[in-house]
Amino acid sequence: MRIAGTSFTDSMVSQLNLLSTRQYQLQNQASTGQTISAPSDDPAGMALALNLQADNSAVTQYSQNISTLQNRATIAGNALTSLQTIEERASEIATSADGTATPAQLQANASEVTQLIQQAAQLMNTQDGSQSVFGGTASGSAPFTVSTDASGNVTAVTYSGNTDVAPAAVSQIATINVDAPGENNSGTGARGIVSDSRYGADLFNHLISLQNNLLSGNTSAITSTDVQNLSKDSDNIIYQIASNGAAQTRLTAAASFASSQQSGLQQSLSSVAGVDLTQTLTHLTQANNAYQVALQTSSQIMQLQQYVLSTLP
Amino acid sequence: MLGLFNTLNLGARALTAEQVGVEVTGQNLANASNPAYARQTVQFQTSTPTPSSIGMEGTGVEAVSIQQVRNQLLDGQIQSESSVGGYWNSQQTALQNAQTQLNEFLNLNSTSGTSGATTGTQGLSSQLNNLFNAFQSVATSPTDPSARLSLVDSAQTLASTFNQTSQNLSTLNGLLNTSVGNDVSSANQLLSDIAGINGQIAKATASGGNANDLVDSREQDLENLANLVNIQTTSNSDGTVSVSIAGQELVTGNKLSDTLATYDSGGGNLLVQTATSATPLTLSGGSIQGTIDARDGTLAALRNNLDTMASSLITQVNGIYKNGYNLNGNSGADFFTGSDAATIGVNPTVVNDPSQIQASGVANAGGDNSVALQLAQLGQQPIAALNNQTLSGAYAQDVQSFGNALSNANDQVTNYNSVNTMLLNQRDSVSGVSLEEETTNLITYQKAYECSAKLISTVDEMLQTVVAMKNT
Repeated sequence: MRIAGTSFTDSMVSQLNLLSTRQYQLQNQASTGQTISAPSDDPAGMALALNLQADNSAVTQYSQNISTLQNRATIAGNALTSLQTIEERASEIATSADGTATPAQLQANASEVTQLIQQAAQLMNTQDGSQSVFGGTASGSAPFTVSTDASGNVTAVTYSGNTDVAPAAVSQIATINVDAPGENNSGTGARGIVSDSRYGADLFNHLISLQNNLLSGNTSAITSTDVQNLSKDSDNIIYQIASNGAAQTRLTAAASFASSQQSGLQQSLSSVAGVDLTQTLTHLTQANNAYQVALQTSSQIMQLQQYVLSTLP
Repeated sequence: MLGLFNTLNLGARALTAEQVGVEVTGQNLANASNPAYARQTVQFQTSTPTPSSIGMEGTGVEAVSIQQVRNQLLDGQIQSESSVGGYWNSQQTALQNAQTQLNEFLNLNSTSGTSGATTGTQGLSSQLNNLFNAFQSVATSPTDPSARLSLVDSAQTLASTFNQTSQNLSTLNGLLNTSVGNDVSSANQLLSDIAGINGQIAKATASGGNANDLVDSREQDLENLANLVNIQTTSNSDGTVSVSIAGQELVTGNKLSDTLATYDSGGGNLLVQTATSATPLTLSGGSIQGTIDARDGTLAALRNNLDTMASSLITQVNGIYKNGYNLNGNSGADFFTGSDAATIGVNPTVVNDPSQIQASGVANAGGDNSVALQLAQLGQQPIAALNNQTLSGAYAQDVQSFGNALSNANDQVTNYNSVNTMLLNQRDSVSGVSLEEETTNLITYQKAYECSAKLISTVDEMLQTVVAMKNT
């Protein structure tokens, strides 16, 4: 085959271009750690990567949901433990208010119970950010309102919340409900914390009754009614604490599931779009060598052409 | 016998012939780097012999013609390959531009948010994920103002990315139309040049001259024209070439019978027809058709898919959202405004006051999250308008089919480059100037010239001897 003068330079330029492009691509892959950057690099791989990204992003959001819920569950759990302490003290007072107690003692106990009611109401108005923890899903910040008479005794504690709860998503298929309504006397739905007609729980009214009986010195009513009632309240609070604990356990499990899912997705992503560094660097070295060889042989051929010209007489 | 005078003439003819040889070699060497040039060779022929008593006797050499070394088959192949190259190169350029405008690039190293989660891409895909995540946050903390604010933020970012992408792709569509227009005027210029050169070639051929250099120019024009639009050529006996595009003969000999023009096929999208007869042309290759196919095929599909996705998002989100209640207990408003990728926006009421977000399913129960939860789950749900795919799944598929189109164009351009390089090398091996060959020829002509000059001086000495014989 005849080789024209321009064939050399044309081939050389196109060959060097090809090798430069290859070096550029490999260098880019090595520095970004990715084999896919643009859709055209690997269309199917890109689509897979986008889907994995979407899953990964959703799982990341579930982790955030879980940590928000864990916060709220901890706040609720702490409030419930304190509530339990209040109820225990009230039960102690009720048990001690037998016929042997002096009227002065009963009066003192009555004012302690009043204090306990105020404390309990405060606890039941606990907030997580802008939302009441024990108000159901109702708007407004303080679901429990305490009414007192002229002498400061509590006459009523009213609940302005509702009986609904809002479950939140912790994975694609699971929702967890960490909240319980303050009161639920509707006969259905989540168990109310201080009041639930199904279980005979009605903490505030029972405490008010105790307060009133202490004030009037009606110890027999305390022994016959209030003690039993408060024990139902105690059971209800224990149930709530256990249920809060269970929710926290489920959240911990959901968090570890999300985190293992996340690391699995990250692994899939890097196997789809990530780079095998050893392989890439080896290919890069090969491309570098080929580029150098192409440059060397080209310059040798150029020198030969020079020689041909020098043979002219 | 020739005699001394005729031998002198023989030497003179040889000098002339070798001089032509040196001239042609010079021309070849001068054009060694001109890609349109086909090397020329001198055809030598022994001049008419004279009868003599000892038989026919030679009278030397004559340069009878200068011929161009061309292979028409290779020229034709390069022309048609040029159309293939023009077609795929213009597709590649258009789609690469669209890929940049779509801005969907994977970046495994980017991180954002407090959790340090990878966002992965810079385009619509990650913003769509962010929107549904923001719905999740509102569902988890329905009354939290910061969750509501970040939902408004995500929705606004997504909407403006839709708007921007749609706008960019529409601008690109306009640029492609401009490019079709420019290519058509270039093609017309080339058609007129070819007709002009045809005229000169016909004249040169008629007067018995050679038109080698004009043929080179015309060949280059034909290849440039083929790059723009697929052409059919017919060689005529007078050396001219007729050019047809999509069955319409536009150059006949030295006559330009018609030119190309663009016409609006609707929506400002330009197609090609003949200028005078206004016959729409179905082009099959070349950069004009490549641009048209990129515009009406892949790019149109991408724009259409973005619109479908935006309108599905608007309809689906609003359908659920309308039934929700905001923190003031009001219901019935839309979350997204607009109807497609260009017009999608977030309801300004919500932007001004995130408490207006209708996340609750029950009036006056701000802590209820049922609507926000449904909206968050919408991200995982198949949607009928998107062939029962999720929004992000449908988008990933759109990106994939777009990527396939560009990746195919890239492969085709690579193929074209290697085929074209091979054809050009083949043509160069026939028509290209070889420096070694020409240098060697130069030496041959020079030596032959020197020897012929020697012959003349020898005959001259002989004649002097003859003249000197008379004096003695």
